[in-house]
Amino acid sequence: MAGTAISNFKQLAHHELDGFGGIGEGMSIQIAKDGRRILWLAHESAPKNFTAVDVSDPRAPKLVARADLPQSHMRSNSLETVGDIMAVAYQTTRPGLQPAGFELFDISVPENPRSITFFDCSGPHSRGVHQLWFADGQYIHMSSGAPDFVPSHPKDDQFYRIIDVKNPSKPVEVGRWWLPGTKEGDSESPPVRHPEGADTGFRPHNTNVYPERPDRAYLGYIDGGLIILDIADMAHPKMVARWDYHPPYHGFTHTVVPFFDRNLLIVSDECVRMEGGDWPKLVWIVDGRYEANPVPISTCPLPPLEAFQRRGGRYGAHNLYENLPKPNAWKSDHIVLGTFFNGGLRAYDTSNPYQPQEVGYFVPAPPERAPTGSIQINDVFVDERAVVYTVDRHVGGLYTLEMDF
Amino acid sequence: MSEGSTRLRWTSDAAPGAPFAGQDAPLFGRRQKRPRGPRLPVVAVTGFLGSGKTTLIRGLLGKPEGAGTAVVVNEYGEIGIDHALLRSSSDVTVLLGNGCLCCNVRSDLEETLRGLFADRVRGAVPSFERVVIETSGLADPGPVLQTFATDRGLGREFHLQALIGVVDAVNGAGNLERMSEARKQAALADRIVVTKTDLADTRATESLVARIGALNPAPVAIARNGEIAPSFLLDEPLAPRGSFEIGEVAHTHGLNSFSLIFDEPLSWPGFEQTMAVLAALRGPDLLRVKGLVALAECRGPVVVHFVQHVAHPPVELEDWPDNDRRSRLVFVTRGLPREPVAQLFASVAAVTRG
Repeated sequence: MAGTAISNFKQLAHHELDGFGGIGEGMSIQIAKDGRRILWLAHESAPKNFTAVDVSDPRAPKLVARADLPQSHMRSNSLETVGDIMAVAYQTTRPGLQPAGFELFDISVPENPRSITFFDCSGPHSRGVHQLWFADGQYIHMSSGAPDFVPSHPKDDQFYRIIDVKNPSKPVEVGRWWLPGTKEGDSESPPVRHPEGADTGFRPHNTNVYPERPDRAYLGYIDGGLIILDIADMAHPKMVARWDYHPPYHGFTHTVVPFFDRNLLIVSDECVRMEGGDWPKLVWIVDGRYEANPVPISTCPLPPLEAFQRRGGRYGAHNLYENLPKPNAWKSDHIVLGTFFNGGLRAYDTSNPYQPQEVGYFVPAPPERAPTGSIQINDVFVDERAVVYTVDRHVGGLYTLEMDF
Repeated sequence: MSEGSTRLRWTSDAAPGAPFAGQDAPLFGRRQKRPRGPRLPVVAVTGFLGSGKTTLIRGLLGKPEGAGTAVVVNEYGEIGIDHALLRSSSDVTVLLGNGCLCCNVRSDLEETLRGLFADRVRGAVPSFERVVIETSGLADPGPVLQTFATDRGLGREFHLQALIGVVDAVNGAGNLERMSEARKQAALADRIVVTKTDLADTRATESLVARIGALNPAPVAIARNGEIAPSFLLDEPLAPRGSFEIGEVAHTHGLNSFSLIFDEPLSWPGFEQTMAVLAALRGPDLLRVKGLVALAECRGPVVVHFVQHVAHPPVELEDWPDNDRRSRLVFVTRGLPREPVAQLFASVAAVTRG
């Protein structure tokens, strides 16, 4: 199967990013002072840090800036922009290395991002920041280690931290929360580990906070399932709900997106093993009417495992489009857009949440030199023009699309 | 309540009042940009034996607009000649079993299209964008229309974009006169192509076009060298256009076709009950009812489609296709004229207003 499979999407353009087309989970739109629309992309791994692409004309994306990482033992993976400020997450390959934390940039001139400050999260047990959420211009909500945090298990080094960056040159931590038992010295017992080979840690992945509920943080807590925190008092977050569905499922809860108007939570897993090794990794539709008791009611249907298992690389859920609470982001309380590695980008209509219906997909042909021999669609962003941007994890770069469903 | 009225009822888990409807819940689920929504378009080509269906489809496949077409051929006969002709020009061609699509092959069609859909999702066939079905010359298009009407059939994955009737200028007039299947094919079609006009004189062709117009007010086009503009075959019929107001068009051989136009928005309960009464009392004679309805309960126009006692799930569109915001319905019936239907709508509307 060499061809592109496309249904109810229209491909506008493909940009391989000049040989560095491996993109992680950071995609953010900036409208520059001169009116250009700049898409900032975090790279999945070294040597590149981030890339900026002018997508004013989504049919003709143009590379405008790119930065290298200072060390090869680190990755950026996640970034967000608010106005002319960009926050970039840095995670190291092992605890104890540097630089681990996040960096703030002034991107008022997209060709020349200038560092404002670096917020250090390194420590003997810390790998730094895996993911950050930055939407309101004041708080960064992130999955991070800390110099003073000693996890009860080395894989649980990252936890939920809230950093006030109102003064970008002096970020200040205002709150933190970890799953009880994951910090050494906790009175609670440490959580029961997942089986060897599937033990991916009790730590947050995505940490989403929306203006509709500024007192809530929606966390995909990897092996800990879905967790909702009350952050009305940011200094003392409290858990108000948890849905832990592993075992029997394989862990790695990744993203939680609330559809506020409809009392639904859309929850994705991340597939982390090759060729169906952790199948099924799903997108779940969860009844959120009673906040304290989230109830899964369906999953987004996927083509059968055997159709994608042997194409190479991973096949299963990963990132969701997160209805970013920003002016240049598209909003929908009905459509779920998810990325499924070699299953491509897939769209679902949740009008009937008991039977989500697939309404479109985009599975690009394997990029040249793809190490897995397949496409590995990693993340998706949609701007307020309803232009869809999706990226390959290894070499394929950026694809721009229109929705046609 | 009779079976007929029950079967017409349509409720959605996404409608207002449902647990997860949200504040702006449309009555029939997410508003769509187009009648087919995200479903795969299907174009069914009907026409009597030898009318030129295969030539027409081959012409389409040879053009850029025809790329990405899967073809399903239903032949009535021992040897699949048309199938062989089409195979060379399409990426995906399937021959349905020996028999007529309207009766014994209908389940084969469902199985074939389900199989094609699954193969497309799995990547086992090229990623086609539409399906063209060539029906056997003797097929009654009614059952084909019904197959696409419900989720139990193919209505969830596929949308019948257009039913194309093919009538040839040499034998068409005779077939329409003598063969009830030919009349039904022409009466039910969304668009009609007249072929082989180079073999008939101009007056005969004009008379045939007039004859077709008396059966069905649908657009008619003349094929040149067996070919027609791809859009005439592939476009969604935005049924029926505002400019077209017909009274009683025809009642030849017991077939009637007429339209109803309503200036004021209708109420959904009133509309639904009117159609339920018609279906309960005259279901078998409602050969096809289609239209675009302005409902008091909906922001956008609602596409409705009935085939005998079967109602397609209504689809609310995001917007009207033109400036005319009036409800328009086209009826093709067997022996049911316009007047009593118009009176029934008027009476129910009067009762509904209270």
